[in-house]
Amino acid sequence: MNSVIEVAALRKTFKGHDGTSRAVLKNLDLTVGAGEFLCILGPSGCGKSTLLNVLAGLDKVYEGRASVSGGRVGYLFQEPRLLPWLTANGNLDFALASCKVPTSRWSELKSRYLAMAGLSEFRDYYPHQISGGMAQRLALVRALCVEPGILLMDEPFSGLDEITARRIRSDLLAIWRETRKTIVFVTHNAYEACFLADRILVMSGGAFQHEMRVPIARPRSYDDPAIFTFSRDVIKAFGDEIERDPVPSAATESGSVNNLDRHTAARMNI
Amino acid sequence: MLKLISLVMAVIVWGLLSLTLPHEIFPGPIETTRTLWGDIAGGEVWTDLVMTLLRVAGGLVLALILGVPVGVVMGLNRRAEAVLDVWVMIGLTVPSLCYAIMAFIWFGLNEGAAIVAIAVTAAPSITINIWEGVKNVDTKLVAMARVFEASRPAIVRRVLLPQILPYIMASARFGLGIIWKITVLVELIGRPNGVGFKLFYWYQLADMRQVLAWTLLFTIIMLLIEVLILKPIERRVFAWRPQVAV
Ligand SMILES: Nc1ncnc2c1ncn2[C@@H]1O[C@H](COP(=O)(O)OP(=O)(O)OP(=O)(O)O)[C@@H](O)[C@H]1O
Ligand SMILES: [Mg+2]
Repeated sequence: MNSVIEVAALRKTFKGHDGTSRAVLKNLDLTVGAGEFLCILGPSGCGKSTLLNVLAGLDKVYEGRASVSGGRVGYLFQEPRLLPWLTANGNLDFALASCKVPTSRWSELKSRYLAMAGLSEFRDYYPHQISGGMAQRLALVRALCVEPGILLMDEPFSGLDEITARRIRSDLLAIWRETRKTIVFVTHNAYEACFLADRILVMSGGAFQHEMRVPIARPRSYDDPAIFTFSRDVIKAFGDEIERDPVPSAATESGSVNNLDRHTAARMNI
Repeated sequence: MLKLISLVMAVIVWGLLSLTLPHEIFPGPIETTRTLWGDIAGGEVWTDLVMTLLRVAGGLVLALILGVPVGVVMGLNRRAEAVLDVWVMIGLTVPSLCYAIMAFIWFGLNEGAAIVAIAVTAAPSITINIWEGVKNVDTKLVAMARVFEASRPAIVRRVLLPQILPYIMASARFGLGIIWKITVLVELIGRPNGVGFKLFYWYQLADMRQVLAWTLLFTIIMLLIEVLILKPIERRVFAWRPQVAV
């Protein structure tokens, strides 16, 4: 399998407001193969969005190497980032026009993905007239519409109710299977990661701490007990990292694995 | 409806206040309206009014041409901001009368000088508005557009401009308020016609009826411009905005 994303010794530092610089990404190495579904799992503030910004080419100030090939890069931001003065339809048109998708294909692409996201009836609504979760779904439609070869997704389903999120996750897998996209998917949710990914990278403190291949055959069913079992392993690996972080007031009762489990599970919205 | 009531209230307050002074020096609304009507019927208001409106329009256009680019540059570039900040402050501080005098002395007593004086006075406040607007541009939307491979002109036109437009509108309105006051002043010192000229003329004759009649005329025209031109434009441009209920 040839790789489409290659990152080597990536370092990124931000200047704090007091002038000191703080390393947010510390020597990251990452290779993502064509057509792979990779999930990056990590606590808030560990640098996931920063990494995606580098991959998307938005952030060009870093040390090390980061190269992305293999077609158009789609990026679903952590926030919807819709243009408030355009309707849902206008926002999609903006993306399609910007990416120079032939006009003849617009209506087919829009209808298809709007239907998938359950937004067909909301074409003429302005962003302020739809809910937060709907806006997030519309942003997903916009990202898919332009048919990117590589799709970067930053916690896309965190604002959705579980039922809707489940349905869209399955749809996403279907699209992924059908179009052979490469997907890098950032999430806090270990169960979601286990359901979706080929491979999970656990990130914390600006570095990857664990790599796990998901040994579950596809197609997967969301209620498969194997996913649940595996997600527990992931949470354990993830929990170790959290505990290694100097988090004040974290549950630190010695050896109470159960407590720790619950603590991290709560953190990861399971 | 509320607006209408408040307008009527304003007229009533005027009427009551005018009772406190002899009516030759503070005529009430009825007397003033009658005088104004006489002027209009006599057909002599139009030249002055049209000249003033042309100066207002010319001044506004030139002020926008001067003020908007400077504001945009200041919003985009830190260094330009540091350099131009002082200039804008100076520009804002110099009294409009100084600009008018300088313009007339340097460029002669002509329309060009009048419009330059008007524009230079109004430009700094327009600049400040635009500067503010450009600084408030949501860069996250720009990043989004870049991810979607939007070209630079497309980003300017479809992402930046709609965000700055409210500020341009606000500064045009704000500028108009300032501009018509300066125009009257400029006409007073250096033009042979216009509302300001007429005001000064009647002031010298100590005819308060005429002074108030011209003030009334101008106020009505400005209100009409606001209601018939600016408001509808604003409504069209900002149709997408949610209604704010406080
Ligand atoms: N523009 C910036 N300037 C300074 N510091 C920044 C900037 N952007 C991010 N950071 C810092 O980098 C760190 C990582 O931020 P990032 O947004 O990548 O976190 P994240 O892993 O995406 O978190 P979350 O799950 O909450 O979205 C944070 O500590 C943040 O303070
Ligand atoms: Mg983030």
